[in-house]
Amino acid sequence: MPWKERYTISDEKSILDADIKWPEGKRCCFRVVVDLSPACGPDGIKPENLTTPDAYYGMNGGLEALAGVLERFGIKATFAVPAVIAEIQAEKLRKLVAAGHEIAAHGFKHEDVSTLSKDEEHARLDRTTAILTKVAGQRPAGWFSLARPGDKFAGGAVSPHTIDLLLDGGYDYFGNGLADDAPHWWVSDFASRRAILALPYYYHFDDQFFLLFPRKGTGLENPDSLYRNWKAELDAQYKRGRHFSMVVHPHAIAWPNRLHMLEQFLDYARGLPQLWYATSADCARHWTKTFPAATHLKLEPSIWQDYPGSLS
Amino acid sequence: MDTTITDGLDRDIAALKAKAADYGAQHKVIDGITWPSGARLAVNFTADFDTMLLRRLMNEPPSQLAKGEFGGRVGIWRLIELFDSHRIKATIFTPGRICELYPDSLRAAAKSGHEIADHMWEHRVPKEPDLERDHLEKTIAAIEKTVGKKPVGTRSSHSRELLLEHGYIYVSEDSMDHRPNWLSAADGSKPILNLPFHYAIDDAMFFSFAWLGSDNSAQRMMDPDHVEELWWRMFEQCYRDGGYMNICMHPFVSGRALRIAMLDRLINRMKALPGVWFPSCEEVARHIIGSKGAQRGAN
Repeated sequence: MPWKERYTISDEKSILDADIKWPEGKRCCFRVVVDLSPACGPDGIKPENLTTPDAYYGMNGGLEALAGVLERFGIKATFAVPAVIAEIQAEKLRKLVAAGHEIAAHGFKHEDVSTLSKDEEHARLDRTTAILTKVAGQRPAGWFSLARPGDKFAGGAVSPHTIDLLLDGGYDYFGNGLADDAPHWWVSDFASRRAILALPYYYHFDDQFFLLFPRKGTGLENPDSLYRNWKAELDAQYKRGRHFSMVVHPHAIAWPNRLHMLEQFLDYARGLPQLWYATSADCARHWTKTFPAATHLKLEPSIWQDYPGSLS
Repeated sequence: MDTTITDGLDRDIAALKAKAADYGAQHKVIDGITWPSGARLAVNFTADFDTMLLRRLMNEPPSQLAKGEFGGRVGIWRLIELFDSHRIKATIFTPGRICELYPDSLRAAAKSGHEIADHMWEHRVPKEPDLERDHLEKTIAAIEKTVGKKPVGTRSSHSRELLLEHGYIYVSEDSMDHRPNWLSAADGSKPILNLPFHYAIDDAMFFSFAWLGSDNSAQRMMDPDHVEELWWRMFEQCYRDGGYMNICMHPFVSGRALRIAMLDRLINRMKALPGVWFPSCEEVARHIIGSKGAQRGAN
């Protein structure tokens, strides 16, 4: 079996805390990612997903309130946008661009690409790039594949072709990598060292897993726990000099009791003097320049063997 | 009264009594263990180094594998660093396959004095006896080749006889008591020591989404402060009574920065009390086995 295929996506050991450098001598990168997809199923956004109160709030009052908080704190965020939402909400997206936020791709319609043929996935990816380029005025640098609320797993879905297609499509980064808590290289081919930069994602810092589970309306939402997870991770990563990112959904986080918690957290973060506030594209650009795969991806030949009676 | 009915009831009672007696005879709690240097409490930090193997075994999607991979690339190194900074000897239960995925981390752990023990070949115990033996022997060989020493303990349901045949002295698997106990045949023969752990003192129960296929509506997305207090209460109770505590971690879960920080706080709180011993499982097992009166059948 070539290079532990189907087991690992990167090299055997992460970059050491001490080796990480951020611009302007800052200690820790701080990223906010906003998921602009309404709740949908694995087939992606359907007409009925646009007619829920949450979907409306997420693109209207919720989005306005969240954008207001980001502006007050001077934070430029990355908005992960399904292409169909960009088509529908072009005017709102242009406003976000004008405010300095980054627009990244979030699938054609936030579908599960692992069920698509390679040709179908390719065609949807190309169309997504074209739509976002048209609406936002520049090509998206990054691609997200965040989990839908009903997904069985919290990491988001990719297909065996996704990383190759993203590289072919000119993308600079993949937005939700779980194999590290610093940017890292996701290898699509061992022999050629073909790899895309993966930016860290972890569902413990994603609002929907605290605010939408257990089932909505059970009164069991847990914003305090989300706050404590954000704070504990930020403190620990700041101390290490690494990286912090969070994912929020306007329909979830913008409701006033939760927005209050978000403001408290951003206020706490503001007290840490050496944070580097970056969009995902800024972070990827810095990392690719400072820690390029050519010199920093340390792939070792596999000692993995096939045995009868074992999984290969 | 129809005697066929009452005879049936008697047979039910007899069968249940026999089963209970047989199960009871296979388990024996070790009372009154004393620790070296008058320690009150032995605390075993144990890490199940599965990384993505179980995810792979369950045929889960790539993001799940990457989530596990964090344990091998990042988490294990942080745990080694944490334990070394506190001079704690931990036990790393590793699948044999991991020796082919992350050999450097295992060598580093062994070099720091941590115990490398068995956690099955590829995170399953085959039902076929020949294949089970094959998997156990592959794991022993892989661990010996990687760190220069055969494992003497396991966290698995490998059969007791097979383990004893291969020189194992303990398992750390079941929770029929919170104190160390013997597992044996019903007549007390072929005993092996069990160092129990409990799912409530297991990081994955609190921090891993969709653990073991659980429903979304059943998720407990906890924060480290909450779990620190839960585990601290376990510690306080064990410390008061004296005895044994086993904390089960997974490098892909506890290796996350926020949880390493929590473990660091927890260890500092434990260390502030006198008489807490932080050995490896092997040290605990050898101490118990070497103690007078602790043998199976002696108490």
